[in-house]
Amino acid sequence: MMRTLLVVVSGEMRKALLMAWTYKTNTLIGLFTLGFIFIGIAFFVQGGVLDPAVLVTTLLGYLVWMYAALAVGDLSGGLGREMQAGTLEQMAMSPVPLGIVLLGRALANLVITTVQVVLMVVAMSLLFGIRLPLRWEMVPVLALTWVGILGFGYVIAGAMLVLKQVGSFTGLLNNALAFLNGSFLPVEDMPGWLASVSRTLPTTQGVVVLRKVTLSGDSLSAVWREGSLVGLLIHSACYVVVGGLVFGICERHARERGTLGQY
Amino acid sequence: MNTAFVQLRGLRKSYGTARTGIVAAVQGIDLDIHAGQLFGFLGANGAGKTTTIKMICGLIRPTAGTVSVDGVDIGRRRGAAMQRVGAVLEGTRNIHWPLSAWDNLLYFGHLKGMFGHTLRARAERLLRMLELWDRRDDLVGTFSRGMQQKVAIGCALIADPPLVMLDEPTLGLDVLAVVAVRRLIKALVEDEGKTVILTTHQLDMAEALCDRVAIINKGRIVTDQPVASLLALFREKTYRIKVEGCLTETAVASFGDVNVATVNGDTVLHGPIDQAEDLYDLVARLRVLGVRLLSVQETEPSLEDVFLQLLVAGDGEGV
Repeated sequence: MMRTLLVVVSGEMRKALLMAWTYKTNTLIGLFTLGFIFIGIAFFVQGGVLDPAVLVTTLLGYLVWMYAALAVGDLSGGLGREMQAGTLEQMAMSPVPLGIVLLGRALANLVITTVQVVLMVVAMSLLFGIRLPLRWEMVPVLALTWVGILGFGYVIAGAMLVLKQVGSFTGLLNNALAFLNGSFLPVEDMPGWLASVSRTLPTTQGVVVLRKVTLSGDSLSAVWREGSLVGLLIHSACYVVVGGLVFGICERHARERGTLGQY
Repeated sequence: MNTAFVQLRGLRKSYGTARTGIVAAVQGIDLDIHAGQLFGFLGANGAGKTTTIKMICGLIRPTAGTVSVDGVDIGRRRGAAMQRVGAVLEGTRNIHWPLSAWDNLLYFGHLKGMFGHTLRARAERLLRMLELWDRRDDLVGTFSRGMQQKVAIGCALIADPPLVMLDEPTLGLDVLAVVAVRRLIKALVEDEGKTVILTTHQLDMAEALCDRVAIINKGRIVTDQPVASLLALFREKTYRIKVEGCLTETAVASFGDVNVATVNGDTVLHGPIDQAEDLYDLVARLRVLGVRLLSVQETEPSLEDVFLQLLVAGDGEGV
């Protein structure tokens, strides 16, 4: 059974990568758009200046947001496209549960987004002299953050199976994430209630820990002792469990209503 | 041929709630389809065909009843059952247009858990059988509708499932593509030994291909018989008599139950004539009218006639 799972996940991943390659121009244009948005927002938030020392903090949050935005867009938007194309029902006829099949798509998205993130960092470094310290501690923190993002993506994708209009809200949701996860506006400066909302979002805690290990040079054991890494671990675990449950319930509901392939 | 390969028992599906109104799409279907059969599942739009097909595919959960394929209950062991089923569903693409034919086959093979040499060899065999090997690396989006449908059938067959479901496989295809798909369906049963469930509105195709047909109306099976038995049930001696020129209204009225129509300036009389004497009598009356007899032809009822008689002329309650 495990071999079947791996084959299905790798097959879905291969397909998603092939599709991304077919639409590489769109992906590239999307990356340029993300770059312009980052510079534009940073310019306004910093009062009309682009200070590399401040930009690096913002960029780090923005990169984490990119993982979230692209994963949510790909999981829910991708499902929507599959529904419209009539291929979702074929996916749902795999012997492996649909949620597991989607994991392949999410992993492909991780690879594609990482390439985009690297290109973004290189471009920002060349254009604005932003120096992002590269430390190995970033990898496990990013990985943990991504697990939380994945769970969040499954919640939205599950909702998409039941309420087809969810697709229209993902853009709004992604923009809200960008402004509320601490990338541009520090969580500490937000009103109490908004800070509480912000802390529950899938990327906020990841951004906090990532800044500590990257910009402050903290070790993993230091952030563990201080509690922020434990917080991220619990946060991501909760998201992935909730995501799996919500997706499973929504898939069952869609099969009961016979709307799995309807858009 | 004694074991039911696909077994439906008390299958029901209702949509909606008490508040929004409940629609009973499928109302208690019991059906046994045997291995190696080409089974036609016919009915008007909204009769419950696609809902039934999707319940067999595990895409819709039944409200009540069970579906088993090769002895595997889909409700209890969906994963194992899905290894035994391939389907081309109605009105959808089924395949990925931005991928090549080759990549589509590999992808759907992976989805069924296949990989490596076994998968590649199967994909090559299917593409050769479908006469698409030379175009294997072209994006499916650039293919004609008929070729795309062939790729969809190939993808449904990639894991060599013993049961293949084809829901309106010729919808929107041109005549040549329809002929190609018909040949392919025939080959699936005769050469590959598959059990095929076919739904179609092309009743001539069902008549030509299927061993057995079930007609569904308002979620209930109206009839379920071998094609020959079904046709025999409605068989009566029907004649088509063609005479030169047009008949007068008085003459037409005198022929009673026989339908009279004008075709290309000639008159065609068509209807049931049980006794040979009645036929001779009719021909004699035409002679008296002084019209020239062009042809006399005995006709057989088609599946379309049976379908119309059951669902339109009849009460739709079945035989």
